[in-house]
Amino acid sequence: MKTYAKIIVGLLGAQLATTAFGASDLELEQLKKQLADLDQKVRILEREREIDQEGVAAAAKTAPKLSLGANGFVFASGDSNFVAQLHALAQFDSRSFFNDGGNNGNDGFLVRRARPIFTGTVFHDFDFNFTPDFGGSTVQIQDAYVNYRYQPELQVQVGKFKSPVGLELLQTDPATAFNERSIASDLVPNRDLGIDLHGDLAGGVASYAVGIFNGATDNSGTTTNAAFQDNKAVVARAFFQPWKNTDVNGLRGLGFGVGGSYAANHPNAAVTGLTAGYLTDGQQSFFKYSSGVNANGAQWRFSPQASYYYGPLGVLAEYVISDQKATSTATPNKVTELQNRAWEITGSWLLTGEDASYAAITPLHPFDPRNNQWGAWQLVARFGELDVDHNVFAAGLADATKYASGAQAWSLGLNWFLNKNIRANLSYSRTTFTGYTGTSPSATSAAAQPENVLFSRLQLVF
Amino acid sequence: MKTFLKIALAAALVTSAGAKEIKLLNVSYDPTRELYVDYNAAFTKYWKAKTGDDVTVSQSHGGSGKQAQSVINGLEADVVTLALAYDIDAIATQARSLPADWQKRLPNNSTPYTSTIVFLVRKGNPKGIKDWDDIVKKGTSVVVPNPKTSGGARWAYLAAYAYALEKNNHDDAAARDFIKQLYKNVPVLDSGARGSTVTFAQRGIGDVLLAWENEAHLALKEFGADKFDIVTPSISILAEPPVSIVDKTAKRHGTTEVAKAYLQYLYSDEGQDIAGKNYYRPRSETAAAKYAGQFAAVKLVTIDAEFGGWTKAQKTHFADGGVFDQIFQPQN
Repeated sequence: MKTYAKIIVGLLGAQLATTAFGASDLELEQLKKQLADLDQKVRILEREREIDQEGVAAAAKTAPKLSLGANGFVFASGDSNFVAQLHALAQFDSRSFFNDGGNNGNDGFLVRRARPIFTGTVFHDFDFNFTPDFGGSTVQIQDAYVNYRYQPELQVQVGKFKSPVGLELLQTDPATAFNERSIASDLVPNRDLGIDLHGDLAGGVASYAVGIFNGATDNSGTTTNAAFQDNKAVVARAFFQPWKNTDVNGLRGLGFGVGGSYAANHPNAAVTGLTAGYLTDGQQSFFKYSSGVNANGAQWRFSPQASYYYGPLGVLAEYVISDQKATSTATPNKVTELQNRAWEITGSWLLTGEDASYAAITPLHPFDPRNNQWGAWQLVARFGELDVDHNVFAAGLADATKYASGAQAWSLGLNWFLNKNIRANLSYSRTTFTGYTGTSPSATSAAAQPENVLFSRLQLVF
Repeated sequence: MKTFLKIALAAALVTSAGAKEIKLLNVSYDPTRELYVDYNAAFTKYWKAKTGDDVTVSQSHGGSGKQAQSVINGLEADVVTLALAYDIDAIATQARSLPADWQKRLPNNSTPYTSTIVFLVRKGNPKGIKDWDDIVKKGTSVVVPNPKTSGGARWAYLAAYAYALEKNNHDDAAARDFIKQLYKNVPVLDSGARGSTVTFAQRGIGDVLLAWENEAHLALKEFGADKFDIVTPSISILAEPPVSIVDKTAKRHGTTEVAKAYLQYLYSDEGQDIAGKNYYRPRSETAAAKYAGQFAAVKLVTIDAEFGGWTKAQKTHFADGGVFDQIFQPQN
């Protein structure tokens, strides 16, 4: 436009110059006026265009935003007070059992998890999450909750979500070191229905969660409010990372805490018992209560836990006690206190320069063979042990000829993070079993001989 | 467990209180940028001395009507300092984030300073513009923002209308013709007063800018007294830019106390002095006397007396289908 103005002015100037000698003063004045008028018109046009552009820029600020990337689909209002996000998690696994004598699980492929994940925010402070899972034999609602963020330090969450007890269980599913969590996680509750107050204090130096839940059995979650849960469970967890925001590199990634739950006076109701069973890494039951065994009295869990991340090194460890009073319908007046214990430690080492993290790993050089980039590679190792209280067999609450009273499992694996969205795992786990004193599981039991499993996984997450 | 719960809650509250930084958002109209830069610095100092707390005041500026709409749409203003009461009324009625009688909460109907509309002309006043009649003459190019979005533009429109009514023995039809003629001379409608100043002073468009008095003085200061002159018409309007806390937002932010103090301090000696320094007409007698020399004498009509208040004026002139819509036709 400025060029246009210059041309007009130039032409008129030239016209003015060429006619000046022969023109009257009146004509000269008219030409000057024409020039001034044209100059104004050009200026007005330029300004109008400028105003239009400002209007477009202002409208863009308030226009809804749609983005698609490694973090999924994000649709947000101009002021970001309303956000809707679509993510997904899909895990395609294989399990191959070795030397199992035909007693252990079937070799095969499976869709371990297939979850569309809907998250978002309404009215700036209210977050929501709705996550169904199509990966199992039945469709389940994994998460369905609303979280109100008053401040980072003070938030309230209501719905179905992970009960805040176990450190490994609280790690997101795409970020775990192995295909399956350790046997220590057998003793903590999974997703539960309830309400909790939680927050991060001093920029994450300390975090806390205190909630009231229906009360899930070990290694299980709840989807309905069953009679078992007439008395609600109080669940609490505190976790500290004192050096998180300091310059002390060697300690910045150290965190420790404790989680626990307490539910009083579970009635001796004729409902399904204490747990569906404790599972090996290969997801085989190595322990179950006999039918007719129910909770009867207080239940509590206690889990000290710690993690440490420094450069490529990651360590995660926890110890869990799950204490439950139980009885059998065969001997309803005989209440036995059972104290099952487990622990595990997981180590990881990133071979390609990334920093280890409790959250997912982001490769420094995403997989792109044409440019000689190969993603991130990580070695992982784990040992875990679970001991079932021997009183369970002495009191006749479980069958020692079918089930073991303890299991020890070690695992080794190699994880390949092709990029932020694609990950491949290969790992091997061996679980050995301990029988109840003086007995051992029968030859047809899954716990009769060690379990050896080779896992693989291809994972898509966005 | 109950004890634990209390401790956790108390720890969260204590930590959040200790780490909390007081932040205020003042959503204002276009020409108050410089006023509130000065005032915020003074208030921050005052509040620190009084309470020991640090307060940071953010400013948002634009056409008054647009700013009010932004607050209605969710802009989290702790306080609004807009060009006219109608815009704050709109927030009260549409967003329900402050009471309907908000204007009674502070002195002078919650208007701590006043202003008026004057003419800014090019140096030497080449078009000889002295009063409203001169700007409706054919061939005079007038710069003024859009009254649909700008509070200053509405004041300017009503000032011209008041002049036309007085000149024509309160003949409304004649006043409408006058206004129609005026807007025939407007080549560009900016959305706010600051945009019109840019159009006139920086882009060189137009013969006269209908400007807030303080904006006209600021233009002289900013661009040089050798470039423009201020012409005060025979009649103008008493513009009363009001202020209010946005109760719901301030409560949610926990800033009610400081937001109230922020507005009350506008009436203090220091607040009034800053208003005068920035070419607003102070309410206090002391400051008004101190800065009287910088304001020309002018007959000022009021919105209530001449137009029956803002609600009526808005409905008659600026609502969709109102007088402005009837008389204004874009030039291009």
